[in-house]
Formats: sequence, structure tokens, C-alpha cells
Amino acid sequence: MNSRPVYLNLLKIRLPITGIVSIAHRISGVLLFLAIPFAVYLLDLSIESEQSFARLIELLQQPSLVVLQMILLWSLVHHLIAGIRFLLIDAEVGIELAGARSGAWLVFITEALVILLVSGWLFI
Amino acid sequence: MSLYVLEGLRPWVIQRVSAVYIVLFCLYTFFSLLSAGQFSYESWKDWLYHPFNTTVTGVFIIALLFHAWIGMRDIVLDYVKNIMLRIFILAMLMGVLIGSALWAFRILLLSVVS
Repeated sequence: MNSRPVYLNLLKIRLPITGIVSIAHRISGVLLFLAIPFAVYLLDLSIESEQSFARLIELLQQPSLVVLQMILLWSLVHHLIAGIRFLLIDAEVGIELAGARSGAWLVFITEALVILLVSGWLFI
Repeated sequence: MSLYVLEGLRPWVIQRVSAVYIVLFCLYTFFSLLSAGQFSYESWKDWLYHPFNTTVTGVFIIALLFHAWIGMRDIVLDYVKNIMLRIFILAMLMGVLIGSALWAFRILLLSVVS
């Protein structure tokens, strides 16, 4: 039996920026998975009839659901952009440490811009 | 047959091919709807019922089904060590995904029939 002490205080672990992109990719993936059945329900509402379409628009404008929409928008945008970065890494683009670090920063910067643009387009 | 269906290189490839398709589909849908102008029931219905859009959406559902399955499966294999719990959770995930995919296909195909 391995008796080495395990020290896993999550608050004391300092993840590098590349690690943060990675774990956020995983968390956003799980959130998107959980959203799938609800997304299909919304698709159903959107196409069933004129009345259900109006109900969907009303539903999406509820303040309590706007927060949920922002979380899912972040999940989608982060998962997409971090995913593109991982594909580039598979293609051996940005695999050395400096490149990987700046790539990770680039993910967060692009992501912030896209979220601002899309939420501006959605809510204004 | 292996206990974990899709093990090794093949899921790795499927994950990436489906990822590329999903990115292209998202970009196409976003800009296509954006350029359609005023978003109304009629314009949305016309968009989804267009044969090309119905087809690419159908392929998207299949791509997402595989992509989400492989991703969630990897997470379960990483964190859940108990074999019975693993099988139970994987079966639940598979149920949610197949149920959602069938429901989405029903919505798409009803649009073709009607």
C-alpha cells in the first residue's frame, strides 16, 4: 500500500494559466452536456407554433434565466475557443512553453471579446 | 469486445473530427441567422425547414452525440474508479444523449413531413 501523504488543498494549488484553460474546458464541457436536453426542449418550443415561439422569447427574457444564459454563453465560447487551441496543439502549433502560455492568454482575451460582442448583440 | 466501447485512437480521432464540424456548424448558423435580419417565427421556420439547413443540423446532432459521449466518458473514466458506479453513470449519460438526439431528430423530421 502506498502510504505517502496526499496533500490536496485546492485553494493552495496554483494552477498555471495553461492549466486553468484546460480545467475550464472540462467544466464548460460538462455544463454544455447538462444543457443539451434543455436546448432540445427550447428547439421544440421554437418550432412547434407561433404561440410556443412567443412563449420561448418570453421565457428567455426572464431575469433569472439571463444569468443561466450568460453561464452557458461563457461555456460555449470558452469550449469553442479553448478547443480550437487544443486542435492547434495537436497540429504542433504552440507546444513550446512560451507559445503555450501566450496561447492560453490569447484564449481568454478572444473569449472576453467574443462574449462582449455576442451579449451586446443579444441583449441590446 | 472491450468493456469500454470506443477505446484508444479511434475516439481520439472522432472527438477531433466532430469538434471541427461543430465549430464550422456554429459559425455557419450564427452568421447565417445574423444575415437573415429580423428574427421572427416565420424566418426561423424558413431557415430550419430549408433542406440544406435541416441536413447540416441533422449531421450536427450526430456529431454532438459522439462528441459529448466521448468527452463525458473520458471524465467518468478519470474520476470514477468503482466499476459498478462507472457502468451505472455511463449508462445514464448514454440514455440522456440518445434520448435528446432522438427528440431532436423527431423535431427535424416533423419539419420535413409537414
